[in-house]
Amino acid sequence: MAMEGEVIRNAIKKPVTVRYPFEKLPPVEGLRGEPVWDMLKCIGCGLCERDCPTETIEMIGRGRTAEFKIHLDRCAYCAQCAESCPVDAIELTKEYELAAYTHEQLLKEYQRPKNQS
Amino acid sequence: MEAYLKLLEITVFPGILFLILIGFFYEWVDRKFYARLQNRYGPLHTGPGGLLQPFADFVKLLAKEDIEPEAVDKHTFRVMPIILLALPLIAAMYVPVTDISRAVVSFEGDLVFIVFILTMYAVSVFLAAWSSTNPFSTLGGSRAVIQLLGFEIPLAIVLFTPAIKAKTLSVNGITLWQANHLPFILLQPIGFTVAVICFLAELEKVPFDIPEAKTEIVAGWQTEFSGRKLALIRLSADVEMVLAASLITAIFLAGPSGPWFIPPFIWFFIKTTAVILIFSNIRTLFARFRVDQMVGGSWKYLLPLALLQVALVQVLP
Amino acid sequence: MKLPESETTFQIPIGPQHPALAESENFTFTVDGETVVDVKARLGYVHRGIEKALENGTYIQNLYLIERICGICSHAHTLCYSQNIDEALGIEAPPRARFIRTIVAELGRVHSHYLWLGLAGHEIGFDTLFMYTWRDREVVMDLQELITGNRVNFALFTIGGVRRDITPYAIEQVRKGVKTLEERIQYYKKMCAKEVTLLKRTVGVGVLKPSQAINLCAVGPLLRASGVKRDIRKDDPHAAYDEVPFNVITYDGCDVASRLFVRVDEVVESLNIIRYALEHLPDGPIRVKVPRRVPTHETISRVEAPRGELFHYVKSNGTDKPERYKVRTPTLANIPSVCEMLKGGYVADIPITLASIDPCFCCTDRVAIVDAVKGKKRVWTWEQLSRYSEKWHGRR
Repeated sequence: MAMEGEVIRNAIKKPVTVRYPFEKLPPVEGLRGEPVWDMLKCIGCGLCERDCPTETIEMIGRGRTAEFKIHLDRCAYCAQCAESCPVDAIELTKEYELAAYTHEQLLKEYQRPKNQS
Repeated sequence: MEAYLKLLEITVFPGILFLILIGFFYEWVDRKFYARLQNRYGPLHTGPGGLLQPFADFVKLLAKEDIEPEAVDKHTFRVMPIILLALPLIAAMYVPVTDISRAVVSFEGDLVFIVFILTMYAVSVFLAAWSSTNPFSTLGGSRAVIQLLGFEIPLAIVLFTPAIKAKTLSVNGITLWQANHLPFILLQPIGFTVAVICFLAELEKVPFDIPEAKTEIVAGWQTEFSGRKLALIRLSADVEMVLAASLITAIFLAGPSGPWFIPPFIWFFIKTTAVILIFSNIRTLFARFRVDQMVGGSWKYLLPLALLQVALVQVLP
Repeated sequence: MKLPESETTFQIPIGPQHPALAESENFTFTVDGETVVDVKARLGYVHRGIEKALENGTYIQNLYLIERICGICSHAHTLCYSQNIDEALGIEAPPRARFIRTIVAELGRVHSHYLWLGLAGHEIGFDTLFMYTWRDREVVMDLQELITGNRVNFALFTIGGVRRDITPYAIEQVRKGVKTLEERIQYYKKMCAKEVTLLKRTVGVGVLKPSQAINLCAVGPLLRASGVKRDIRKDDPHAAYDEVPFNVITYDGCDVASRLFVRVDEVVESLNIIRYALEHLPDGPIRVKVPRRVPTHETISRVEAPRGELFHYVKSNGTDKPERYKVRTPTLANIPSVCEMLKGGYVADIPITLASIDPCFCCTDRVAIVDAVKGKKRVWTWEQLSRYSEKWHGRR
């Protein structure tokens, strides 16, 4: 009988459940979501590929012409790539709704912009 | 013509179909209130406000595969869910639903018959467990019978004390007496409390859901049942709740009677829903007892209270 | 005529699939009616080859594998690993980093104990307590998300310090959250001391006497509920625990109810530690630069995880990958005590007794390959281990 008071008081309060996906809470600042590469800053050093714990990052080529294939289904969202990058070209956004039906839908490709030398 | 009307009453209203539908409704009420007391929503999406959720669960179970292990006692195993469903349906026919003293069937002494059926329910649970030949089921079945030792006698005594006062052993007669005098909840409050507690043990709800303890012995006596058999067992649990609520309403709360501005059937509805809410509230407050604590407690506390109630009935005018 | 012993007893398997266990392990019970006569534990269902995988990654990559040994105590594993490699390198984390490590570790302890309170309620059929404590747990998880960027698997501790600083906004939110959590835990403590059915299920159940606890190497709240005052935070201080005052909670009941109250009081102590650490947070850098290669050393590191003493060992060989890494979790140390506690009890007490050590079986499983014929141990490579597991699963 010890919880009776609390229980009756909660019967008239609004339930605390968030009815996702009809109601969504805003993501906090600094949430480690999807990693995004800024190809204008990238110098193709390969440090992100070397330090990634899950073989998410696949670099094609090296140097200023390097391009990326990112396997988001392997990513652990740990932000080690963002930390290792010497030019701050990688940023982890707040995008967390990344569920997909096939592996191919989670393969992101980053290519160099056409007018870059 | 009379015979056809009676057949309609037994099968449709207020008979089998009505009892099954109202069983689904009470399960919804119970689940929704239980969830609201725990600060969450409960069933929400199937139907308006989740009303169709128990029906959806029933239909889903009917569609699932019905696995029968090789070592079970085949005939008993197949028949027990049907018997478990039939028993509360039969007992509920004796309780007045539409109007005072107008149960579907009634005879002098049907209260004794109802108590007999309540005992037979627990024995059927034991038979269902025994035919499953599974260690968990055996434990669950033996716990069901041990629990029966605890609650059967106080329940029977406390259901008969109103009969002593009303000088009739039929449920119809007891509701008629209350319509002319006061309801028994005011005259015999001790009896009402003991009846509510013992019915919780009969229905196998927390704190007495020992035979079907989910975290201790997987699913207790229901472990081996699946598919259609499990659907019937769950439906029988719902109909048993209807039986318990309507019996308490008929014997302690004056059945479907009340002031003139609401029809008697709606009074029945309101009172049984209030009893269901009491059951749900008690369900949220307690942890599960151990079976030896339950039987010890019922012989130390419930039985003396029931006997006290009998003594009070004889002594007070 | 007396029946032979085996006629009255039968065996029931609890696990690997059972509603009482959150993770799969097997316990075979020999019962006589409702009394437990004997227990045999069989572990190894959640073995994932983590220690071997740690030998294949660099020290930086291993940070993120180590935190996935367990979901609830992931911060304890990362803390122990960072301290281990810090010591192997011979460096010390800056003071601000040590305080931040303490704050996040204590938030993790609060989270773990709230979760345990809910699970204990669920095991004895008290679902309302389960729902309420897991609702309050969301406050802690939101704070952890604010500080570290993720609700589970924080990836905050690193070799040489912490990766993110704690902003003034986060400090303000943590203070507010701590106030809410303190009110709730005081309410639960009062309620648990008064609720008759809860006390009836936990008092006098799963008794472990102090001498038995010490002989069977029990650790953590299990040991402290039998009256033995041992806590790694006081005996072998790490992070900032030597600069923060706190009490070690012990109770003398030696039963499940004592373990419940030990954990509830530890939450109060943790909240006090967090408040003190936030007020005395020193300024300065949060990490030091570390080289990638670790010179040849063998080091150990111990941490008071929410479940007890966590023990890591590393053997480095001058490259950027460890040669051997060993993890010994508190649940492994508590399994012999659990087998002793279960004997002579009721079947109905099995789930709550098992839950009272706060088992985390996924942390626990390690494997050693022993040749049974010759009696010698063998060492396998990663490829041999994965080929063996594929063949075994393919055959089934």
